Amino acid sequence: MSTDPFHVRSCALIVRMEGLPSAINLRELRDRVERCSPSCLYHHFVERLLRPTFDDPEFTNDFAAWACRALGDTVLAERLGVLDPFSADSIEALRGQVSEILEERLAEADHIPSVDPGKAFYFTRASMAVFDSGMRINEPSEILGALQRMTRASIYFHFVEGRFRRKEEGDDFSAWLRSNGELGEKLAASVSAVDVAFFSLRSLKNELVQRSQRILEHEAERSR
Amino acid sequence: MARNIASYRRVVGEESISQLHRLASQLQGRTVVHVNSTRYGGGVAEILEWLISLMNDLGLQAYWEVMEGTPPFFQATKKIHNGLQGFRVDFTASDIQAYDAAAEENASRLRDKLSGADFVFIHDPQPAALLGSCPGRRGKWIWRCHIDASRPYRPVWRWLEPIVSKYDASVFSMPQFARALPHPQFVIAPSIDPLSDKNRSLPESEVEGVIRRFHLDPGRPILTQISRFDRFKDPVGVIQAFRMLRVNPRPQLALAGGGAADDPEGAAVLEEVRARAEDDPDVHILDLPPDSHRTINALQRASHVIIQKSTREGFGLTVTEGMWKSKPVIGGDAGGIRLQVHDFHTGFLVNSPEGAALRIRYLLQHPRLCTRMGASAHAFVRDNFLLTRHVREYLTLMLSLERGVTDRVDLP
Repeated sequence: MSTDPFHVRSCALIVRMEGLPSAINLRELRDRVERCSPSCLYHHFVERLLRPTFDDPEFTNDFAAWACRALGDTVLAERLGVLDPFSADSIEALRGQVSEILEERLAEADHIPSVDPGKAFYFTRASMAVFDSGMRINEPSEILGALQRMTRASIYFHFVEGRFRRKEEGDDFSAWLRSNGELGEKLAASVSAVDVAFFSLRSLKNELVQRSQRILEHEAERSR
Repeated sequence: MARNIASYRRVVGEESISQLHRLASQLQGRTVVHVNSTRYGGGVAEILEWLISLMNDLGLQAYWEVMEGTPPFFQATKKIHNGLQGFRVDFTASDIQAYDAAAEENASRLRDKLSGADFVFIHDPQPAALLGSCPGRRGKWIWRCHIDASRPYRPVWRWLEPIVSKYDASVFSMPQFARALPHPQFVIAPSIDPLSDKNRSLPESEVEGVIRRFHLDPGRPILTQISRFDRFKDPVGVIQAFRMLRVNPRPQLALAGGGAADDPEGAAVLEEVRARAEDDPDVHILDLPPDSHRTINALQRASHVIIQKSTREGFGLTVTEGMWKSKPVIGGDAGGIRLQVHDFHTGFLVNSPEGAALRIRYLLQHPRLCTRMGASAHAFVRDNFLLTRHVREYLTLMLSLERGVTDRVDLP
C-alpha cells in the first residue's frame, strides 16, 4: 500500500488566438485543421472544459458544436461528436480522424457549406499555469472531503487531463487509489468508470462526489 | 470602495481564493498600471474599480490612471470607438491632432510611472498612443480592447493598427473581436463583482422603494433594459418590440441608463428615445446619474425579464448582471451576448424587434420556465463571469508574459 499522500494540483488557463484566420466554410475548416498546432487541437477537444463557456455536454468538442450551431449540419456534428480524444493514440492521430471526417463530408456535399456572418470558427489555444493547490489526500477515505472542496480546475487537471496524459492507466485519482488498498481499489473502479465526455466540470465534480460517497457509505455499512 | 479578496470566499469558495493567492505569490511586488479614459460610467471603469483593489490585496502594486482630455479629444475618441465598431465616421486630420496632443500631454504627466511599471494595461483606443511616448519603457505593455473590433471601419483601423501593433500583447473579450496583430492575442471575458452595489443582494424593501420611486406598478410584469443611451444598444428597437406586445396584463418597460462621461452622443440618443416613447405611461425612460448602482440593481431585481437588444456589443455586462439576479435575458444576437445567452437555457437571442416581442410574450406566458432559466443563468455567471475568474486570468496572463508565452508554465 502506498504511503505517499496525493498532492492535489490546480491550474489556471488563459485562452489565446492560434494565429490562423477563422473558417467560414467547411473547406476552410478542413484546411486549417490540417495546419493548426497540436495545442490548438488539444484545446478544442480537451481544454475547452476550462474556458468560460456555457456547459453543454451535447457536444464533446468545439468542431462538433460549430458544425451543428453555425453550419447547421447535424450529420457532420454527429460524426465529429463521437470522436474520443482520450482513446486516440496521439493528437496527430486525432487530427487524422477529424480531417478524414471533414474530407468525407466535403465529398458528399454538392456545394461548400458556409456560415452566416459572425459565426466563423475561431482557432484558439491556451497558456496554462499549473501549481500545487496545497491540498493533500492522505488515505482513500479522505477523497470525498477533498473532492467536495476541490476547484473545478483541480478536477480538470487530475481527472480530465490526467486521463489524456496517462491513457490506459486512467486518471490521476484512480492511479493513486489503486495503490492504496482494497478501499482504494473499489473507489478507483467506480470513479474510473465515468465517461468525461458527457459532463461539464461542475457536473463531473458532483458525479465523482456521489460515486465516492456511495462507496464509502457502503463500506461503512459493511463494517458495522 | 476598497475590496478585500477574502470577502469573496462565501461566494466562490475557499479553494478558489486560495488558487488566486498561489498564482499571485509568483508576482509579489510587481507594479501594474491600468490606463483608461474615464473614472466613472461604463463597464471598463467598473471593472478597474475592483481589479485595482484586488490586485493590491493580492500583493501586487496596482495603479489606475485616467486620460485627461479636452472636448475635441473625446469627440475624436468617440469617432474612433464608433469606427472600430464598424460605423462610417468622419475621422479627420484635426481629430488625429487632438488625439496626439492629448497623448503627449498625458504622457508627460504619466511617463515615469508607466516607463517603470512591470506591466501596463492600456484599455481601449483612447490611451493607446501613450506607448509611443514612453520609449524607455521596461515592462510589458498590453492593449486591452473591450470593443467588438471584428469589422472596423477601415480608415480608422488603418490609422490605429500601427499604434497597437507595437504592444507586447493584446487582450480581447472574445475570439470574434480579435484582429490579426503581430503579437500574442489573449482572450479574457469581462466579469461582474457579486459584492458591488450593482450586484449584491438587496432588502426587499429597497426593491419595492425603487418600484414606487419610478411609479412602476408592482402588480404588472416589468421589462428592463439597462444601458447607456447609445444607438448600438437599440433602445428604439426595444420600444418597437414593446409596442407589439398585446398581452394582458400589459407589461411595463423601463429603459434605464445614462450618458458616460466620454460619450457626447448620449443626449441626442436620449431625446430620440423620448420622442419614440410618445408619452406612453408604461414606457419609463430613466436617465440615471452614473452612481445609481443600487437603483439599477433594484430595477433588475424587480424585473421579470431583462432585455439587452444591442445590435453591436462589446461583452454586454448588463446581460451578466441580469443573469446574476436569476433573470432570463432577451439579448441581441451580437458580440458577447452570444457567449452568455443560450436559447431556452439562459434566455433568448433575437435579431429584430419582432423577435424580441415574440420571446417576451413566450416568457411572460411561462413563469416557471422563467424561474428555471433564471436559475440556470445565475449558475452560469457564478461559474464563469465573476471577478475571481477575471483576476485569475489577469494573473495567468502576467505569468505567461513574464516567462515567455508557452503552452504551460509549471509554478514552484
